[in-house]
Amino acid sequence: MISYLIFVGTIAGFYSLLSLGLVKAWGQGGLVNLGLVGFVGLGAYTSALLSGAGYPIWIDWIAASAVSAAVGVALCFVVRNLRGDYLAIVTLGFAEILRLAETNEKWLTKGSDGISGIVAPLKNHLGDNFAVFYLVLTWVLVGIVAFVLNWLLRSPFGRALRAVRDDEQVAAVAGKSVLRLKLQAFGIGAALSGLGGALYAHFTSYIAPDVFITQLTIYIFLAVTVGGYTRLAGAVIGSLALIALLEATRFVAALVPGLDAVQIASLREFAIAVTLILVMQLRPDGAFRMSNERSGLGASRPGPDACYGKKAVLDDGT
Amino acid sequence: MLTDLLQYLVNGLIVGALIALPALGLTLIFSVLGFVNFSVAAQLTAGAYAGWLANTTLHLPLVPVLVIAFSVAGALGVVTDRIALAPIRRKPSAQTPLMVAVVSIALSMALESAYRFSFGSGLNSFDMPIARDMKIGGIRIGLQQLHNIEIAIGLAVLLALFFSLTKLGKAMRAVADNADLARLKGIEPVRLANLATFIGMGLAGVGGALLAIDTSVDPSTGSRLILLIFAGSVVGGLTSLPGAVAGALLMGVIGELGLLILPPVYQSLTAFVAILITLLARPGGIFSGASGVRK
Amino acid sequence: MSNLDRRTFLQAGLGVGGLMLSSSLSRSWAQQGDPIKIGLIIPLTGATSQFGATMGQAAKIAEAEINGAGGVRGRPVQIVIEDDQSNPEAAVRAAHKLIDVDKVVSIGGSYASAVTSAIAPLCWEGKTALLTSSGADSITKLPHQGYIFRTSPTVTLQGTSVGKYAVELGGKRMFFLGPQTPFAQSYIDITSAIFKAAGGSGGGLIYEDKKSSYRSEVDQALKESPDVIVLGGYVPDTSVVLKDLYRAGYTGKKLGFSFGINDALTKAVPAEVSEGAYSLIPSAAENSEAYKRLIGKMGRPSLDSYSCQVYDHVVLTSLALARASSGEANGTAVRDNLRAISAGEGKRTDDAVEALKTVISGAQVNYDGPSGPLEFADNGDVKGVFFRYEQVQAGKLTLRKVG
Repeated sequence: MISYLIFVGTIAGFYSLLSLGLVKAWGQGGLVNLGLVGFVGLGAYTSALLSGAGYPIWIDWIAASAVSAAVGVALCFVVRNLRGDYLAIVTLGFAEILRLAETNEKWLTKGSDGISGIVAPLKNHLGDNFAVFYLVLTWVLVGIVAFVLNWLLRSPFGRALRAVRDDEQVAAVAGKSVLRLKLQAFGIGAALSGLGGALYAHFTSYIAPDVFITQLTIYIFLAVTVGGYTRLAGAVIGSLALIALLEATRFVAALVPGLDAVQIASLREFAIAVTLILVMQLRPDGAFRMSNERSGLGASRPGPDACYGKKAVLDDGT
Repeated sequence: MLTDLLQYLVNGLIVGALIALPALGLTLIFSVLGFVNFSVAAQLTAGAYAGWLANTTLHLPLVPVLVIAFSVAGALGVVTDRIALAPIRRKPSAQTPLMVAVVSIALSMALESAYRFSFGSGLNSFDMPIARDMKIGGIRIGLQQLHNIEIAIGLAVLLALFFSLTKLGKAMRAVADNADLARLKGIEPVRLANLATFIGMGLAGVGGALLAIDTSVDPSTGSRLILLIFAGSVVGGLTSLPGAVAGALLMGVIGELGLLILPPVYQSLTAFVAILITLLARPGGIFSGASGVRK
Repeated sequence: MSNLDRRTFLQAGLGVGGLMLSSSLSRSWAQQGDPIKIGLIIPLTGATSQFGATMGQAAKIAEAEINGAGGVRGRPVQIVIEDDQSNPEAAVRAAHKLIDVDKVVSIGGSYASAVTSAIAPLCWEGKTALLTSSGADSITKLPHQGYIFRTSPTVTLQGTSVGKYAVELGGKRMFFLGPQTPFAQSYIDITSAIFKAAGGSGGGLIYEDKKSSYRSEVDQALKESPDVIVLGGYVPDTSVVLKDLYRAGYTGKKLGFSFGINDALTKAVPAEVSEGAYSLIPSAAENSEAYKRLIGKMGRPSLDSYSCQVYDHVVLTSLALARASSGEANGTAVRDNLRAISAGEGKRTDDAVEALKTVISGAQVNYDGPSGPLEFADNGDVKGVFFRYEQVQAGKLTLRKVG
């Protein structure tokens, strides 16, 4: 049981890194990256291939983040003028293309067979203690990332970024370099996804294109939304809630009598989805709502969202 | 070569016709309610299952099957929208559209699980004969598939007439343009939202039934296609009804023509590049200027 | 925001965690009692889930048979089913739960190759036997220390058999149509080589899966005017390809594999579309009663190979543990005794209950299951599997020959 909790805790850390990246790009920067899982895969493959070529792990991980960041910045630059919903479809498609490339470029990625035997740091030396070591390592990284992001968000950069998120035109008029801020936010988000992917690859020792499917992106979006999409603490809490939900439903669904295996599995996925909907209804702003974070440039003004067309959602409750 | 080109064009239109109706539904709902309702995927599957049940247990022919698919998907769409999504829309903020969109993905997952719970994971075939294709001037054309295009275009025209000629249609356009203004004029937004959802999801349901007659129905019928549907709708401008149909057809055609230059395993790449290029050339979508629900 | 709300939220989260903990603790206490737990990771949801339901049913039948015969050394066996969600990441979490919480002695099922490759390291590191129905050649090349047993013939062997059968049916011009898989290109190479050696020709096209139309791919294939089309896909894409072949007026022979042409497929397309399609199914010998007995118990006219294999995964694990001299029920005991009960000079039987009784009596047994004779090479690959060649006639798979 303990080893299971250690494992689940490590996966929660991996989800947290992805969620922190999403909070940075989406929550703080207003950039919808529905192709998150593509950058996770990019990082995982970069790190696995470099490690296979004999490079030490710390280089692999830095390279994984750097490659994901570079590709993220390049993609963001190409689509710099697109509206939010268009950015969503472009990033979603981009992740799908990356998965296609991973599947078909067998000379590099071994195709859908996947890459096996990715080495884990110090695993041979640590033996049974490896799981604990990796858990601590993952969460130390989550802590460092959260600390740095927190510092960034409080800095003038963070305020300028939120100004861009809330109203690009106002921010531009105020002399902010909108493009540079967007590229930085998107790049940091992509880098964290890549780092998360690298951590995952070396933890489970196996990756394949099928690992990086949109379901994971959806899970992370739900985690971040549940946690409160603008808040770093929300990202971590949301990730913990997500993994608790994913794993707890396993035990609970099996207790329902009189169902066959398919029905139990369906019930489990149903429960996951419905719980997320319920949480969103009870706490539409997530566990940690937007607070104490004035951009200084109109964040307090509830205006139309520049990133999402010019139309607010139809308010039918009144 | 020219025959090849024409053949692929026809094949592309056939693929596009399959996603045109769901894309139309997605666009209609976005126009009136202001968010991308991804649960259109699950309603598409609902229409497919409803049609399949009507056809295999009641032995109904095509037209009643499509009517049932429309009604079931539309009704389920409204009910689930009221239960799952409407409470989240109550306190609108800048990010509400995206929040509702994310939750609509969860709603879609929940419905897909419910179908799997009820019907299992297997693929189910309609009890309808499959016609061999006809050859016209060396080009292979499927008559059944041709009907799909006709139905898609016909419904798009009907919708366009509804919006430009009827009082209710004009009211919906008013809401789409400005909800506050509409309220001042005494139009009740909830009713119109429900109507838009009913029609939009109903269209997805008809599309799902047609798709399932063409292929088969299983719990993932809709979610397998949602990316392509979303892409068609986006290329069409997200708020233009004719744009949605044209965007869907365009996605189909570009995908098939791509087979001429790329290995088939990279077919999605052509669609992606096409979206990217059209959006970069016209950041509002190709049909942003066309008439639709919103001008 | 009110702190109260946040606290409520956190408490709810803790509550869920606590529920999970207590539920699983009660399970691990139960394990100190009797049942021997056998894990199954099968595709119940997601893209590859067409066989999950029958896999689960077949495993339940094996469980009931073993327990009806008194269990393993007085202990009942209990299968614990987890869903792989057709996703290796979810499968890894499921495998950790089975190994760490349920303490299963073996994991069976594991259908998609990526799922098997993903959970394999956990199994050999956790000293848990892995019985798999995946075909990808790469799986038994992993450094698995003997913990992997593969009951499905390798994809290479299946491709060769399909190619030979297509030639036997009188085909001259072969064309392969299938999605991108680890084996798609080698299928094209293998079958083309067989056709060329027989004086014919071969070609192929690899397509993208999850499409709702393969008209253009079919057009490209028919340009080569083939008289045999080999379908290398799974049920969802194969059903669409078959429909498009029918629409295009193709009248030549169609051959597929058990993962593509099977009961699930015949349900998915009208009878006229699948009519005449051949399928190659890894199987037991022709005179084996095991398969007939299993489909009888399940109340079905036929059953896919993968569900038969999952039945055998449960039986093999139980028999191996019944033989283990140490009396210990763990993965290493399964690994060390599995070959001794499924091959060799012992009493040959295709009845799980009889095999169990023979093992308990202390005699040697050679168990042959509904999925095949179940003899394993040193690397864990199955040897000497027979193939059932079946053809769809009026919407039903009909046996043509066993070889």
